[in-house]
Parts: sequence; structure tokens; C-alpha cells
Amino acid sequence: MLGKNKRSITAFSLGLLLAMAIYLVPGMTSDAIAKEAFAEQVFAEEAFAKEVLAQEAVEGEGEAEIEWSQDVFYRDWEGNPLKGPVSGYPAPELGPSDYNNYDFAPSRMLIWVANQQHLYFGSFVLAVPIFCMLIEFIGIRTREEDPIMSQKYDRLAHDLMKISLTAYSWTAILGGILLFTFITLFPGFFKYLAGIFRPVMHVYALMFLAESGILYVYYYGWDRMNQDPFLKWIHASLSVLLNLVGTILMFLANSWATFMQAPGGIDSEGRFLGNIWHVIHSTLWNPVGVHRILGNIVFGGGIVGAYAAYHYLTAKTEEDRAHYDWVCYVAMFICIFGLIPLPFAGYWLMKEVYAFRQQMGITLMGGIMAWLFIIQAVMIGLLFFAANSYLHNGMARVKGSHRYMKYCKYMVLLLIVCFTMWMTPHTIVMTPAELKVMGGAQHPVIGHFGVMSAKNTAVNLMITTTVLCFILYQRANKKITVPWATAGNCWIAAIFVGAAANIIFLGVYGYYLPANQRVGLSVPQVCTTLTTLFAGTAINISMFKDSESYGEVKWGSQSKVGTYAIFLLAISFTWLMGLMGYIRSAVRLFWHVTEVVRDNSVDAYTLTIGEAGKMLTFNTLFVWVQFVVVFWVGSLSGKKEQVKAPEGVPVPAQQ
Amino acid sequence: MNKNLVSFLVFVVGLAVFHNAIFPIFTPKPIGWILNRYVYYLVFVAFLIITHFVLRLKPSIAMKALFVWFLGYYFYDAILFPPIPWTLFITYMVMWSIGVFLYISQDTDSFREFREPIVKTIVGEYKLAQIVVMIAMPILVGFATYKSIYPAYQEPVELRTVHPAPPATTKVHGITYPLESTNNPFRIDEQDKYKDSFPFLDADKQEYMKYVTEGGTIFFQNCHYCHGDQLNGIGMFSHVFNPTPANFIDPGTIAMLQESFLFWRVAKGGPGLPNESTPWSSSMPPWEEHLKTDEIWKVVLFEFWYTGHHPRTFGTEGSIAGSEGGE
Repeated sequence: MLGKNKRSITAFSLGLLLAMAIYLVPGMTSDAIAKEAFAEQVFAEEAFAKEVLAQEAVEGEGEAEIEWSQDVFYRDWEGNPLKGPVSGYPAPELGPSDYNNYDFAPSRMLIWVANQQHLYFGSFVLAVPIFCMLIEFIGIRTREEDPIMSQKYDRLAHDLMKISLTAYSWTAILGGILLFTFITLFPGFFKYLAGIFRPVMHVYALMFLAESGILYVYYYGWDRMNQDPFLKWIHASLSVLLNLVGTILMFLANSWATFMQAPGGIDSEGRFLGNIWHVIHSTLWNPVGVHRILGNIVFGGGIVGAYAAYHYLTAKTEEDRAHYDWVCYVAMFICIFGLIPLPFAGYWLMKEVYAFRQQMGITLMGGIMAWLFIIQAVMIGLLFFAANSYLHNGMARVKGSHRYMKYCKYMVLLLIVCFTMWMTPHTIVMTPAELKVMGGAQHPVIGHFGVMSAKNTAVNLMITTTVLCFILYQRANKKITVPWATAGNCWIAAIFVGAAANIIFLGVYGYYLPANQRVGLSVPQVCTTLTTLFAGTAINISMFKDSESYGEVKWGSQSKVGTYAIFLLAISFTWLMGLMGYIRSAVRLFWHVTEVVRDNSVDAYTLTIGEAGKMLTFNTLFVWVQFVVVFWVGSLSGKKEQVKAPEGVPVPAQQ
Repeated sequence: MNKNLVSFLVFVVGLAVFHNAIFPIFTPKPIGWILNRYVYYLVFVAFLIITHFVLRLKPSIAMKALFVWFLGYYFYDAILFPPIPWTLFITYMVMWSIGVFLYISQDTDSFREFREPIVKTIVGEYKLAQIVVMIAMPILVGFATYKSIYPAYQEPVELRTVHPAPPATTKVHGITYPLESTNNPFRIDEQDKYKDSFPFLDADKQEYMKYVTEGGTIFFQNCHYCHGDQLNGIGMFSHVFNPTPANFIDPGTIAMLQESFLFWRVAKGGPGLPNESTPWSSSMPPWEEHLKTDEIWKVVLFEFWYTGHHPRTFGTEGSIAGSEGGE
């Protein structure tokens, strides 16, 4: 599907599954591993404390020299707060002298813009190496079978890296702006944060240096390491290293944000208790990390897709059209693959937020941020619409797809019905007259859609529908010839029908359970959806063995509607990312560090929905203007190469 | 005869007959599982599909899109009962319109076919249609402008947070309660739902039921005037309030909340709400001024018992705490 080669799609899918597993497995097993490590650590710390106290008792010094204090978050096995040696100063009571401001804009808005812009670019430059790693790997794997296709993959990875290189410098500049904005406008708070995260900040800077070094070697060594197979593998390994360092960088930076939201490793006065790992690894660190990785993949895919879509729509030659159509497909493939598990990572994050402070969870889902969550629901719906629209249009240009196109309208209907449930608010905005006509605040029919049982069911069905659409897309031009074709089809049908029945059953069953048990049903619902993804895709791919083709994908013939869907997806996701970032950050309300450092600035207020929306739109437009500039800069060197390229080189995808 | 026209006539006449004759005559007032307005609507849709199939009518994609869009409009406008508020109607129709657009734009051919009559109207190939559109458009715009600037006397709608985040602690009658860890002191047992234990005023049965009964007595002395004798928010005074009193039967209200949350809300009433919940528009009195602490707890106990809901707990969930709420 990613060209003419059947193995390439298998390799690509497996590669993505593997990549996802690499990220998900630590997430899933981290609790168990963390508990074990935690137990050892607690044991060691307690032993150390006893030793110190015993020594002091023997010496008869009287008062202990080391002051011990209780952690605000960590607890030992008996549920008592964990104790640690006080190793820092108390959190300051911030006053007017700890805040600076300009006349033209509130400091809060300035730090918001600086932060968001840096995050957008950071997200992009972290995502692109993941794509490059996968695409280059596929290129190497297909080198012997299909050298032209292999070259095409390699070229694509190289082109993406070229854009990423420009964006990388841009990210660093934006990071600098963010740092200066922070230091100059919030010096008091920065001093406190720097006091705790001092070693992390230095390690971060060094990791940034390592990232830059690897990036330059990886990019500038591309052509030189391209010919020799051994060197090519070394080059591919560099991309793995690049991603590893990039992920560590992101996790280190995440720790500052997660500490502010849900602190650990300090006492109630804000004094550091000597264990930097506790500070880094606070309760939201893991879910935020996984959520951001998946979000980066979708965001990066969306941007690369939009870039390719623009070139596709403006292409002058058939070759260019074919090429950029193919790039759109690769980007969307990655994007959708990240989009499917993204809501689940979000659920995990919310679960941890509730576990940390129920109050914070209620503020998010039922309190002052609840209407923003309704907007989020709309944006997520748009993403799924855009993804499905692209898949439908993409499928339509594949020979043999007429067998499946007739099901598209039913899938659209299902999506719309689910989306209706997904975004129906619990509290409806209405006039008193409408309230009277309705007979009460709850509607007897749609009132049932306001709780999570309905919403979980809806979103799981939407994802399952998208997975089904993707599976049909994969097999659109294939005539299945394996002897077990009927059995395979039956299995796929059974998996999807069974999954839908199970998801709906669990959703309805949830209404008859107490709330604390009801939320637990989301776990089997998610598992059901993931089963359709993994089992359905695996069976589907297995059935492609020795399949006959109705004809290759005619790249360059994607409809305009399908191409515009990519823009919709990219822009919606940019806005959505800003929205969720704002919600996550604003839920601290009037705290810099929740319940430890109070925000005493004049900006310690929560924005109205309209004001927040304006800021998000500004950030979205601003970052897209920058992306256009970065892409333009990146294309300056490409134009020269295009002139030099020999004519008559066959376009592999059209063969 | 033009098949598009036949198809259009089938749709229009069918809908007119259904809406004006069949639907009002046959739809039963009490909604049953089988005989209800939604099933009748589905039967009507089935009628349209079958008629087209039998008469071998194949309307153009634009016509199909029109039918589908209008069926959605008709459902939300006339079938869904009681009528939904305007804001929700608009939201649903936007979604339905997006769905129709996805349907017509799923491939290049269908989208081209859909655009064809529009393009022909614009370029003047369909002269009559062009004249109709050119006359209708300014009239519609004028009408919309008139509607939008015509002064309205209704109260403005406001976004209100029904389940605000509670404070970390609340002070009632001189005692400070941490809300996350406070439990109802009268929840000594958990059994006997209202439905299972009728007649419910069997106070001698056990201690738990004694507390429930006492809570019920307090409820009917103080609360049912607004919250209703069935706890469904439709009390005798409820109709004069905006927002209306809470409906405890609804799975989206007390079923999602801890007992301590209810304790705080009952004790502090409307004035104790945070700003996002518009304390100025809630008329619930702060009951701590009228009831004792124990009485508040007993009322809360009664509300859960009567409705059959279990209070939300967080401590016992282990790994399955979640994102409940869904404002």
C-alpha cells in the first residue's frame, strides 16, 4: 500500500506497532516496576535515616542535625507520608517584586504564547525523527527487492530531516525566548523552580547538546553513509539514538510541568527532600510523557501531511503530484496510527489526575473547565471526520475499491450518531422558555448521553469504525487468494461485530452500576477497541499473502476534498493541542505549584472561554505562519537539486 | 417522467402524509418500547427506501443528499420529544450537515455529480433555478438580518457549571471537614434500596433504616417542595426557578458525587457556590442555618437510598478511578 511492494506495508505496519509497543510497554509496566524500585528506595532511605539517627544518638549531640520532613505526595506502604531530609529552602511567598510586566500585554499571555510556540515546534522536531527512523528502516529493508522504491523512501526521510533541521534551530530560538520570558517576567518563581531542578536543567542542556550533535551527524552524514550497507545501518542506528535522546529531553522538560501540576519530592512548605527522582517522577510524569509522544506523532504527521498536501495541490507536473500524493498518504498513515491510541493515553492521564486530587479532576471534567472539554469533544470529532474523509477519498482512487465503497455511507452514519452522543453536554445551554418546554434540566432521551458511559461507548465505536475503514483501505486493491480467505473474513467480521456488541453492552451496563464501578468499564471497552486494531490488522495483513492485485494505486489522483481533509486535520489538531495544553496548565488555578507555591500575580485568574479561544486561535495562526516560513527556508536548497535531477527517472509508484 | 421528480414527489408527499396524518393519529401519548414516535419515524424512512427500491427510482446524489439532510432536520425538529433547545438543535444540525457532506464527498465522482446542478445553476444552464435562487437569496439574507436585529426580551442564556469543584475543606457548625476523606457517619450499612424494601417507612427494621427514615422525614419537611416528592427535581415550586432544582434520579447528578460533596452543597446552599456556578442564580438556602449537621447527613443518606444510587467513592477504586463527570 505504501507503494507497489506488499512487504513494505507489512514492514511499515509492524514497525509502527513495534514503535508503539516500545512506548506503551514501559507505560503499562511502569507501575509494577516503579513500585518495586520504590520499595527498595523506601527501604534504603529508612535504613539511612535510622543509621543517621542512631549515630547522632550515640554521639550524644542532642538535637538532630538533619531535619526530616514529610513528602506532600509520596507515601510508604502503610500509607504514611514518606520522610526525607530537608535539602532546600521553603517556597517563597511571592509578592509584587517577584513579578515583572510589560504595558502592552499581561505577563501570563506572553509566557503562554512563548511556551505554546516552543511546544509546537518541539513537538514537531521530536516527531519527525520518529518518522525518519521508520521510513529509513523500510527503505533499507526494501533495498534489494525494489531499489527504486527504496530510494524513494530514503529520499523522503532525507527531505523530512532537512525540514526538521531548520525547525530544530527555530525550536532552540523559541526555547531561548521562553526561558528569557520566564526569567524576566516571573523571576521569583523561576528562582524557586531552578533551586529544585538545578541538576535536571543542566542534564537537559547537555542532552540538548547531544541531540544537536547526533542530529547534525545524522543529517550531514546521510549521503556519505548511504552507499555502504554497513554504514547505512550505522546511520539508521543514529536515528534510534536521536529518538532516544529526544524522548529523554522531552521527559525531562515534562517533569517541570508535571511537578507544577502535581508536585512530589517536597514537603508542604515546598522544601526539597533530597531525592531528585521523586521530584521528576511525580504522579503525572508517565501519562503526560506517553500522551505527548502520541500527540507529537499525530501533530508531526498532520504537519508533514499539510506540507505535502499544499505541494500536491500546487504541483505542476504529474511526477510531483504522484510524489506528494504518496507523501500525504505516508503522513496520514502515521497520523492516524497515532490518533487511534491517543484518547486512551488521555484517559490514563485523567485517571492519574483524579487519583492525585479528586478536586482537580472535577474542576477539569465537571467544573470550570468542563465547557472547554465540550469544545475538545467537538475538535476530536473533527479529527475523526477528517481522517475518515481522507480514507474514503483515498480508497475511491484504488482499483477494486468499489467492493468496499458502498459501506462508507454506513460508516459515516455510525460516526455521526456516535459523535452526537460524544458531544451532547450533560448541562444543556438553554433559555428559561426552552427549559419549561423540555420539562426539566434533563432531556428524557438525550439526557442519557451526558454521562461517561455513553461517551466512552461513542468514542470507542468511532475509533473502531476508523480502524475498520483503514482495514478496508488496506485491502481495497487486493484480491485475496489464501485458502483460508473465507475463514479470515469471517474472523474479521466476527471481531468487529463482537467488539461493537461488547462496547455497546458495557456502555448500557454502566448505567446500572455505581459510579466507581462504572468508570472501570472503560478498561474492557478500550481493550475491545485495541483488539480490533491489533487482531483485525494482523489477520488482514496475513491474508495479503500471494494476493492478486486489481491494479496499483494511481498516485496523483487523490481528490481535492480528501486533500483538504488533511488541512482540516492538521489545523484542528494544532488548535486542539493548544486547548488541552491550556486546560492542563490552567487547572492549577491560582497556584504556580499546586498547593505549595501560590500565584500572587495580578494574572492569577481563569480566562473566559471566549478569551481563551482567541488566544488559542492566535497561537495556532502564529505557529502556522512560522511553519510556512520554515518550509519555505527548507525548500530553498531543494529547488536547486530538482533542476539537477536527471529527467526520465521512473516514478516508482506509478509503475 | 423524470425519475428525479418522481422521487422528489414520493418524498414530499410521503412526508406530508406522514407528518399531518399518520404520525398525529397513531403515535401513542405514553411512550412504549415498540409503539413510539421513534419507531414510527424509522418505519417512515423504511417506507421511503422500499418505495424507491420498488419503483426503481435512482435520484441524483444531490437529491439524495437533500433527502438525507432533511430527514435529519425533521428528526431533530419534530420527532425528538420534548423539543431540544436551540443551541443543541444547531449543534446537531451542523454535525448532520458534516455527515451529509462526508457522504457526498466520499469520492470524486459523487462529489462532481453533487456539484453539477449547483454549477449549472450558477452558470445559467438551469435558468429557472437561477432566477429562484437569485430572488430567494436576498430575501433570506434580509429575513435573517431582520431576525437578528429584532430585539429579544428573553433572559440571556448563560454557561453554568453544575458540578463545581468543591473546596478542600468546609466548615459547618464550627467543625472543619476535609471533603475528600469525610464519610457519612450514618452509612453504617449499605442495603435495602427503595424498590426492594417497600413499604419503606419500616423504621424498626434496623438501625440503618432508622437513619434513612429520619432523613426522609427531614426531606419531606424541607426539600420536597422544590426537589419533588419523587426526587426528580419537579417539586411544586420547581417551575418558577431557573436553574431548576436538581433531579436526583438522573444518573448524572448525585450518582456521580461523593456524599461529602452533597453535604457541602446542602450545608452551604446557593450562596456557597463558586462564581462559575453563578451563586446569584441559585435559590437553595444554606441549610446549615436551618438543620443540624446530623440532619444534613441523614438527608443525604435518604437521597441515595431512595434513588438507588451509590455514592461515588474514590478510595476503594484502586486502579480504576476515571474521568467521570461529563458536564
